Amino acid sequence: MTDETNKTTGARARLSRRGLLIGAAGSAAAAAALPGAARAAGMAPGELNPDLSYPFYGAAGQAGVMTPPQRYVFFMTFDLTTDRRRDLQVLLARWSGAIAQLMKGETIGQVEPSRPDAVGFDTGEALSLGACGLTVTVGLGPRVFTGTYELAERKPALLRALQRLPSDALRPELTGGDLSLQACADDPQVAYHAVRDLARIAKETGAAVTRWTVMGFGRASAGKGQATPRNLLGFKDGTRNIREAGEFDRHVWLNEGPAWQRGGTFQVVRKIQMHIENWDTDRVSDQNAVFGRHKLSGAPLTGKAEFDTPDFAMKKPDGAPVIPDNAHIRLAAHENNGGIKILRRSFNYTDGINQYGLLDAGLLFISYQTDPAHFEALQQKLGAADALNEYIAHIGSGLFFVPPAPREGSYIAEGMFAT
Amino acid sequence: MPRPDVTRPILASVGFAALLAFSQGGAAQAAEEGSPAPVVNGAAQVAITLTGEAGGTCALDHAEAKAGPVTFTVTNRTATAITEVELMSGSRILGEKENLAPGLAPVSFTVTLGGGSYEVYCPGAKVETVAFKVNGAVATPTGATAAILAEGTKGYARYVDGMVLAMVTAVDRLKADIDVGDLAKAQAAYARARPFYERIESDVEGFVLPGFKPTDNAGNLDYLIDMRASNLDPAVGWHGFHAIERDLFRDGRITAGTRKLAAGLQSNIARLGKLVPGLTYRPEDLANGAAALLEEVQSGKISGEEEAYSHIDLADFAANVEGARQAFAFLEPGMKKIDPDLTARVDARFAAVDKLLEGYRDPTAIGGYIRYTAAVKAADAVKLSKAIQALQEPLSRIAEKVATAG
Repeated sequence: MTDETNKTTGARARLSRRGLLIGAAGSAAAAAALPGAARAAGMAPGELNPDLSYPFYGAAGQAGVMTPPQRYVFFMTFDLTTDRRRDLQVLLARWSGAIAQLMKGETIGQVEPSRPDAVGFDTGEALSLGACGLTVTVGLGPRVFTGTYELAERKPALLRALQRLPSDALRPELTGGDLSLQACADDPQVAYHAVRDLARIAKETGAAVTRWTVMGFGRASAGKGQATPRNLLGFKDGTRNIREAGEFDRHVWLNEGPAWQRGGTFQVVRKIQMHIENWDTDRVSDQNAVFGRHKLSGAPLTGKAEFDTPDFAMKKPDGAPVIPDNAHIRLAAHENNGGIKILRRSFNYTDGINQYGLLDAGLLFISYQTDPAHFEALQQKLGAADALNEYIAHIGSGLFFVPPAPREGSYIAEGMFAT
Repeated sequence: MPRPDVTRPILASVGFAALLAFSQGGAAQAAEEGSPAPVVNGAAQVAITLTGEAGGTCALDHAEAKAGPVTFTVTNRTATAITEVELMSGSRILGEKENLAPGLAPVSFTVTLGGGSYEVYCPGAKVETVAFKVNGAVATPTGATAAILAEGTKGYARYVDGMVLAMVTAVDRLKADIDVGDLAKAQAAYARARPFYERIESDVEGFVLPGFKPTDNAGNLDYLIDMRASNLDPAVGWHGFHAIERDLFRDGRITAGTRKLAAGLQSNIARLGKLVPGLTYRPEDLANGAAALLEEVQSGKISGEEEAYSHIDLADFAANVEGARQAFAFLEPGMKKIDPDLTARVDARFAAVDKLLEGYRDPTAIGGYIRYTAAVKAADAVKLSKAIQALQEPLSRIAEKVATAG
């Protein structure tokens, strides 16, 4: 797996034709040598590179998992509206072709058709914006694998509905879905356009309609080579995230089961509302105790620098643990969870102001793992005891199987239809 | 497979020059100049292959065929930018395949072609049109599909005329009930009259009374008949159905003003009754009209804005859908020839909407459907909207097909 999965990192980022034409950067070799794709394009860190693009087709996992998190996400789930197997095949094939176009920064068809009675294939709002590092990742929900589509036998062994977890406050309208699209890009309009036009294809083929969606910003989980970003509580998030290819192979990518599942992974999505105003009026020492870290530096309360390993045994003079028993990082740490690690690829979101006049915002938590039970085990613990629970609520949820990337000439999950 | 219109050649005695080239071998991609497509089971076989090469390539294995049935088999190997292939004669589509994407099994369509020049159109390819030549007797186009569609538009015109006639009668009834001051009867008569307008709304919009500028609402028949509270022009005031609805359902009384409104509505509806029967429609008018009716459902009914006082929005909803379905039904015989797959998708979505609406029927309620209250809206608006969205996307592809049908 390692050789293949490596290709989905930023090292696989390439310059588009346009990038080469305007001489924006050095060689592809330079691009491959640096983890930060923006830097590879000869740009200052943090500068937007519209020509950054990732390949859709490949021999390993889909893009958008190992890819260094982009700045924005547009995540959407869909309900299947057909009982015909072929409609599902056509949808996955049309989506795959369209995603391949979009990830190159190209349209999915005519914007202004020459025939006056035609409707545009592509809605046009991303014209000339570039690919902006777009990745679109397709997930399959449990209901795909039913007798309706003659796919009951093809269900990934570990796919099922997530179990009910402590502190769940899930709203039905923000939960579930038969298909998921995670579109990430450095320009929000590029991500929006991708999902919008893919949703049109879903409806046009008669296969699916939209269910729930979240637009996220400010990548809230670090990838390899990225400085750790902050969530809306102001704390660094993802300091101990999975970064190395070996960890991906162990904790993210499936390497057994039928061939069409290998290189796949399970996607857990949670919409986590934050009680922003209450948090903002909480004294900083309590905030630090809730996380178990210092807000500014990100250092564990037992250390001095962000990447210092937390010392969960360290006690204060009065005998109490320095990192409290119910601190977020203690409960989530792999040392305290039998070595369980999950890849977090979350984003912040806002829905404006809620019916009570409070800021309606939070975290679109997205994780990838080899087994949904790994997320459940962690959340079982966090949901029951996390000091953070006073300030958050899990209001939306979804679980999807993310098949590996298709090879050119094929489409997402084509292998599961093989008879 | 049902096929359009180009006639079978009567004589097969000409156009054999192409046979001279039979011995050429062939590279897979390039069309073989002068080599006619081989005939299997009476139909010439042409393979169209789509690849991602050179920014999207649409290649034919044979650029010409003998007059008669021709089967085009389309395989999308790696072309992510191409999802459709059409066979064109001038600006007319003779046959097509859509939903082409890499990885899917090859699909084919068969057309009977007379001698002449055709084009294979592959929107999204670097070179979008590829010439295709047929040798043999020149066909006299009978315009079979176009004729079927034209017949459909006549049938639709009769449907619209019937609706207008019924609407005139229903509004006469409404005025009579208002004149005698019977509130309960007037409310029921209001609900009976509304659906006639909603079924054909897209056809009766846009009439301007003689002597008025198009921008003056005082002469805009649609404004005078169907304006809602949200879009009033203070200079012209409120007329028509919804001003009457306000009196009957919000205020619950019939006043001299209500009678005046009813008289105005009656005379404007009578005007429509005279204007509409002369109208003729093109096939794309039916398709665009059906799409416009579904836009009406999305913008006015699901929001509950249309019938803000009577709450018979679901009756209007059903009437809009019925009108769209009628327009589609009159196109269906032609559409089945042009694009049976799309036709089936639209059919399935209409059926799904009907099934959904069935759950709201209430024969005892005014309008025949449960009142669309704030509670019903809060609970079900999303479900209703999604069913309509799922119909809108495939339906919106029809106008282009029927406008270019051969």
